[in-house]
Amino acid sequence: MYKYRAQLTKGDEIRYISHLDYAGVMERAIRRAKLPAAYSEGFNPHLKMSFASPLSLGVTSDAEYMDFELTRPLCQPEVFDKLSKALPPGIKLMKLKPVKEPKACQGKKHKALMAEVEQGIYEILVPLMGDWDAVVKAVKSFNAVSEINYHRVTPKKTRDIEVKQYVLEPVQAGMAGALVKLSMNIAITQSGSIKPVEIMELMVKEFGLPVDMGKAMINRSQLLGQGKPLIDLV
Amino acid sequence: MIKLEPEILQAVEKPARYTGYELNAVHKDWDGVECHFALSLADVYEVGMSNLGLKILYEVLNNREDTVCERVYAPWTDMETIMRDRNIPLFSLESFTEINKFDFLGFSLQYEMIYSNVLNMLDLAGIPIWTRDRQESDPFVVGGGPTVFNTEPISDFFDFFILGEGEELIVEVVDTFVKWKANGRIGGRKGFLKEVAKLEGIYVPSFYKVNYNDQGRFLSIEPVEAEAKPKIFKRVIKDMDKVHFVEKPVMPYIGIVHDRIMLELFRGCTRGCRFCQAGTSYRPVRERSRAYLRQLARKLVDSTGYNEMSLTSLSSADYSCLGEMVDDLFADFEGEKVSFSLPSLRIDSFSIDLAHKMQQVRKSGLTFAPEAGTQRLRDVINKGVTEENLMTAVEAAFRQGWKQVKLYFMMGLPTETDEDIVGIAQLAEKVARKYKEVTGKWGVTVTISVSCFVPKPHTPFQWFGQLPKDEFERRQRLLKDSIKEKAVKFHYHDARVSVLEGAISRGDRRISQVIYQAWQDGAKFDGWTDLFKNEVWHEAFRKCGIDLREYNERTRDLDEPLPWEHTTPGVSREFLRREYDKAMRGELTEDCRRGKCSACGVCPSLGAKVVDYKRNGGEG
Repeated sequence: MYKYRAQLTKGDEIRYISHLDYAGVMERAIRRAKLPAAYSEGFNPHLKMSFASPLSLGVTSDAEYMDFELTRPLCQPEVFDKLSKALPPGIKLMKLKPVKEPKACQGKKHKALMAEVEQGIYEILVPLMGDWDAVVKAVKSFNAVSEINYHRVTPKKTRDIEVKQYVLEPVQAGMAGALVKLSMNIAITQSGSIKPVEIMELMVKEFGLPVDMGKAMINRSQLLGQGKPLIDLV
Repeated sequence: MIKLEPEILQAVEKPARYTGYELNAVHKDWDGVECHFALSLADVYEVGMSNLGLKILYEVLNNREDTVCERVYAPWTDMETIMRDRNIPLFSLESFTEINKFDFLGFSLQYEMIYSNVLNMLDLAGIPIWTRDRQESDPFVVGGGPTVFNTEPISDFFDFFILGEGEELIVEVVDTFVKWKANGRIGGRKGFLKEVAKLEGIYVPSFYKVNYNDQGRFLSIEPVEAEAKPKIFKRVIKDMDKVHFVEKPVMPYIGIVHDRIMLELFRGCTRGCRFCQAGTSYRPVRERSRAYLRQLARKLVDSTGYNEMSLTSLSSADYSCLGEMVDDLFADFEGEKVSFSLPSLRIDSFSIDLAHKMQQVRKSGLTFAPEAGTQRLRDVINKGVTEENLMTAVEAAFRQGWKQVKLYFMMGLPTETDEDIVGIAQLAEKVARKYKEVTGKWGVTVTISVSCFVPKPHTPFQWFGQLPKDEFERRQRLLKDSIKEKAVKFHYHDARVSVLEGAISRGDRRISQVIYQAWQDGAKFDGWTDLFKNEVWHEAFRKCGIDLREYNERTRDLDEPLPWEHTTPGVSREFLRREYDKAMRGELTEDCRRGKCSACGVCPSLGAKVVDYKRNGGEG
């Protein structure tokens, strides 16, 4: 089998489709591309593909990663062009690399894509609803606390999560036109993470960040492992 | 153009229902075209997107350079609440244009219980509900689809209806519109309706006057405009290889109800089951050729990327070249991991062998429709299936490894007695015991799904009174108590819904008032069990002073004028009467597809003929 890693986008057009739907869309795109895709064995064969960290509904991304396998080695430009042409609006293929598996004697195989993810970089654009000074103050206070809990309520359970363990760098604030731009570097670990929207919510509720949360647009700009974009790990 | 804020989309279930941009969706410059057509099915996105007819018409319309066709479906209740709170009008999924800016709003009418949603969508779009209240700037509201063979209950809400197959007729409608518009919209709204009424298969309800007798019953309907024909026949496509079929369906980002390729093998079914409205509505049988289907299959796999294809038709196993065609498909898609399915199986071993071949390893479950529990009643409905047929079929299925069988039945068929009801349980139990006999062990599941019979217009049973709700429920209990085997699982339909469907499907124009009242009082999504409001509907009948039972329970006189006879699929009243008489005598009628012509009247009245590659002696 010949494995490839793709860096894809999730654009504004499809920001409201779920991670599972995104995977289904990519599966059909690979089929439309007429690539010699590898399938799992069994009664219900599936394309051999895997994704990095799932994105929340409503979040766009410049850095979605997908590994997939072909049964024949095709050159990178051919795979790139065929797959690009088959993508629906809202998904662009940014980069593509063959995954070089080390020989058996050279040690371990690549980790699963999901397990390689360590951090995500996000930007939030949100309308200001007050003073810029209040923004600076709220961000500063949030950055200054050493720990703070977020109360996460899901249909299944409710729990408190310590947020700061996942915030790798101080949250940055700036203005982008009439919008406040918040930049976040968030740790994604096997045991959990925090969502950028949850950090913003905490900043609004606990630190008085004066923004209109309902109109926030969130984008994931990078997904890193060992400090490097995942595409550079192969 | 409507732009939904993130806070709205974040607050609703499945926001991708409202955000568009799907692959193969068509976007055109609004001002660059003459005709703007919105196509709709008044249900949620996942249901609407699954409709084959709309997929075809979407392409047919968008293939015209002077026309743009866009989609719109019913917003789910969560979205509706937000739209009403914030005064957001209904919008299309391509250009997000307000629906009331379109020239046409077309609804595919799949079943009667969708009508409340049609009204709700008109209201959300800001289009007056009643045709008489519409202004020059409002879209023409058009209806088409299976329920058009009695449009009377909704005829005051629609400007016109398209009867029968729409591929050719919708193009003629747009031609007429473009011409009328270019000529300066002569005569205004009514002027266009007069022009369109001249087309074969178009019914403009406002051009007719209905007369009632002194008991208040329907007496006659007569044209009041010169362009209105006394009787309107449906349209049929004569050559299924020459008409456009979907090649690039819009690909949803989210899962929909039928999330697979639908390859339509043929139209029509002339098995002649006497309860079946589809059986009379879609006559005659017209097949696509094997060669054309093969081409279509290739195009569809390439344009969609789906790995599942359903070979659809009213009775797919009747396709004359099915065996050969399945071989073609297997050869063409070898290595592409495409799986094929037949949605409807005939009760015979040919079907089992074919199903076995198509499913290869996965044995998901087989579905058969004996429809009635005893031979006597199966003969009454002209089902043409014996107990022996069923036993042979399930035996073959069990030998091939199937362990789940689903059997469809109907309850409340004409002449039905308790013996027929108990017969359903006995038949199901025989099937379960057959499994033991074949495999030597238990472990089969036989699911019986029993619906409540609704007599439908233009069928031989159109005169029969429907059972009252309590009687349906008594028979459901009787059946439940008659099932002794644990292997038999029993599902039944909500009789309350069927009773309303019974009243609306054979209703006349006065039912419009009831539908309007029910909608005003909150009826919508009536086809969704948890949203169906039975009391609202009954209250609406009471408020309008209309006795529901007059419409559903009353047996009509055989020579009584019926309010739906002027909009016809072409089957004659004489044929329906003959079939009625034969039903009462338990006599069978042959399938004219390969057997004797039953003189139903369709071919001569529509100028069409049966296309069946086996009967015609040729190869597809």
